[in-house]
Order: sequence, then structure tokens, then C-alpha cells
Amino acid sequence: MAAQLEEKIGMKTESYTFKVEKGKIKELALAIGDLKEEYLNGECVLPTFPTVIEFWGGQGSFSNHLGLNVKKVLHGEQEYEYLGEIKPGDEITVSAVVEDAYTKAKMNFVILKKEFFNQHGERVLICRQTIIERH
Amino acid sequence: MNVGYQFEPLQKEKVTHTQLVRYAGASGDFNPIHTVVPFAEEAGLGGVIAHGMLIKGFVGEAIGNWFSVKDLAKFSSRFKAMTRPGEKITVKGSVVGESEHRWICEAEAVNEDGEVKVKALFEIKKG
Repeated sequence: MAAQLEEKIGMKTESYTFKVEKGKIKELALAIGDLKEEYLNGECVLPTFPTVIEFWGGQGSFSNHLGLNVKKVLHGEQEYEYLGEIKPGDEITVSAVVEDAYTKAKMNFVILKKEFFNQHGERVLICRQTIIERH
Repeated sequence: MNVGYQFEPLQKEKVTHTQLVRYAGASGDFNPIHTVVPFAEEAGLGGVIAHGMLIKGFVGEAIGNWFSVKDLAKFSSRFKAMTRPGEKITVKGSVVGESEHRWICEAEAVNEDGEVKVKALFEIKKG
């Protein structure tokens, strides 16, 4: 099991592109209940908007891709580093790689690093997340 | 602003099952542990649980109340406990340090019993 898990280190997903739409910004704001004017009119994105890019831009879930059991998967940690602004109308391309994978306390840990680039090739965001799979 | 400064807490409405369905659609995270009760029960969770990113979204809302989100440089969070429909979340935060160009702050999303759901650390660019 552990050996199989470690083989995932360095695994990449096919990169994907998502166009930032005003409607999706508003939809996320309404779901969270964060009703700031600039989100509702789609002028600027919420701090957690990159998650929309990941799920709607990506082809299916990363958990499936990594062969993790979705019934056993939990979100452990998540970090965003904002390097530039993500603006409505931008086309954001995301590439992801498994930075680390290990087993601890009867749980599997997978660390993913995702880099977000805009249409000008500028790296605007780095996202790191820890996925936990319960045994 | 100074180290030790406490921000005004953000008190959210109760999390509802409908909100989880809505958040699933908005975010695109359709893992059924968040929306389908029988699936979540079968997964051993005793019912649906909120997306961790929804609760992180509450923290993001609070940060946007406290600062301009354009100055947000880093936002990391640890998901400590599951949140279920019916729970009421409050986000508290304070400044815990500073560097030449950044304010280092921390925030916690807690329920009415004080159980910590999300613990966050964030950095704000000084104006």
C-alpha cells in the first residue's frame, strides 16, 4: 500500500484552462453568503475562487485520477499564495503535480501543488493542498 | 493596526443542507459526502458534512471585511473538524506578527460550542 502510494510522487495531471466568468464569481459569493458588491457584480474574485477554477476547469476529480477512494477522502490542509491578480475574463491554466505522498497513523497523505498561470503566462497563484485518505 | 489587534468577529447564519447543495454547484465539488445523505452515511460520516472550502470561504469573507482582498498575499488553512448542517459558525481573527511588508494574521472558524473547524494563517501586504 505504502509503496504504491509513494509511486504517486511526481505524478502530473493534464493541465486545463478555465475562463473566469462574472456569473461564477457571483454564484460562489451567493453560496458562501459573502455579499460584497464587487463580487456580486463580478468585478473581483473572492479569496477562495481558485477552487472554482480547479473543479470546473479540471476533468473530473483528482482523487479519482490518483486512484483514491472518494468515500474515504478528506481535505486536510490548503494554502493559497497570491502572486498576481485573477481578474474576470482571464483564462487561467492550471497544472498540478503530486509533491509528496506518505502513510501516517493509518491514513494516506497526498500533497498536491497546483500552479495557476493567466493568458499572459504570468504565474498568479500557487495552491498546495493535503488530501487525506482514511484506510 | 498593531500586533495583538483583534478583528471584529464575523457571525454567519446556520449552515443548511441547501447551502451545501448550492456550494457544490458553485464550486464544482460534487463529492456526494457533502450532498447525498445515504452516501455520507455509508461513508461512515453519519450524514452530510460541509465542504471544508465553504468554511474556508467564511474565513475569506471575514478577511475581506477586515482588509482589502487585493492585499491578501497568502492564506493557508487547516481543516480541524467537520461541519454539519445546523451548525452556526463564527470567524474570529487577530494580528499575530508583522514583517517589513506584511501583517501576519490568524483566524479561526468555530461553532457555538467553540469547536474549531478551520484554523487559518494569512498574510496581508502593508499599504
